[in-house]
Amino acid sequence: MQDGNTAMGLWKDWRLHAIVLVIVIVTELIGTFSIKVGPGVVLLLPMLYALIIGIILYFTPAVKARQSMNAEPIIVLGVSLLLAKIGVIIGPSLPEVIAAGPALLLQELGNLGTILIALPVAIWLGMKREAIGMTHSIGREPNVGLIMDKYGMGSPEGRGVMAMYIFGTVFGAVFLGLLSGLLATITPLSPLSFALASGVGSGSMMAAASGSLIAAFPDLETQIIAFSGASNLLSLSTGLWVSIFIGLPLTEKMYGWMTRKKEGY
Amino acid sequence: MLKNIQEWVLLLVIVGVSGLVGNWVGYDVFPLTALPGMAVLIGICLAGFILKEIIPLNFPSIAYISIIGVVVSMPWFPGSDKVVEWTTQVQLLALTTPILAYAGIAIGRSWSDFVKLGWRTLIVASLVMIGTFLGSAVIAEMILGFQGII
Repeated sequence: MQDGNTAMGLWKDWRLHAIVLVIVIVTELIGTFSIKVGPGVVLLLPMLYALIIGIILYFTPAVKARQSMNAEPIIVLGVSLLLAKIGVIIGPSLPEVIAAGPALLLQELGNLGTILIALPVAIWLGMKREAIGMTHSIGREPNVGLIMDKYGMGSPEGRGVMAMYIFGTVFGAVFLGLLSGLLATITPLSPLSFALASGVGSGSMMAAASGSLIAAFPDLETQIIAFSGASNLLSLSTGLWVSIFIGLPLTEKMYGWMTRKKEGY
Repeated sequence: MLKNIQEWVLLLVIVGVSGLVGNWVGYDVFPLTALPGMAVLIGICLAGFILKEIIPLNFPSIAYISIIGVVVSMPWFPGSDKVVEWTTQVQLLALTTPILAYAGIAIGRSWSDFVKLGWRTLIVASLVMIGTFLGSAVIAEMILGFQGII
């Protein structure tokens, strides 16, 4: 949850870096596969195998608890390299990004779609106030902070947001990577709309979602990267405010309304 | 601060080397060709980390890094054509592979917590992601269409 403050001596963990290098070589050698699903395409990218191989290796003697702990702060450094790369792609195409400004700003409200779709199902499945923490947002670090601040660590809302946080951390990149490739090929929506949607406020999810879009629409590569990068930057800075002023109050209201109605019958 | 810089440089170089190797194996860009671009990216990251340390604002370093990246590649910035030319050799996807490899190794530890959550959580969490993604895309589609961009 913090950045920049890496612990000392992580570079000395040669075991960890060697394992990562081997994973990179193996997964890049395997390369990208696209699987046709009806009219759509599910893309399997090296980064998805890298994530899965990493998780599996944790349960083998190759990786010890020490490596797993050391790996965590290094993710932030890797993401910063990625953001630098995205920055230098946005620079030359800044006029296009500015032209898309209104869409960029307003699609942030689309994140509220989660409340309309996920909250009713959560209540229907019998979840109680956990549903509020879980569905008010996509549950990244700022949202976890917000819920903890407002309801407390051990509250049902706190459990809900932690569940979402863990799901996002474990599956977020894989899930959005598969989803974006599939949706962009089966729905009539433009790949650029999905590029804007890819910026959910998490570097790895954005990379996976926009990566699948690029693989499916290579001609639009520069625009996809510029749009998703700018959108992610915006989500990072405004996402918390949208949650505070719109997302969370709306979730509370809908929850109250839906549970009252249910009890009334 | 100096110790920190040394640590950041070493780690960025290590992640950068993995990225260059991936860039070679997966995208056929010889590491020497992509080296200047990777050096520029590492430099941008360092500048961001250092700015975060010296500017007394609670602004995350990744935000500085994004902004520096945009500024140094804008057409009016001196030498931006070189920055763009060099960094083009470093494929975006080649940078994501080592990140997710580190992430996988880190995530292994919370896997058992995750398994305990149960199937209802899986359904709701999936819907949260689909809702966010599709909701944003639908709004973007309407406004981009209205503006005549798509």
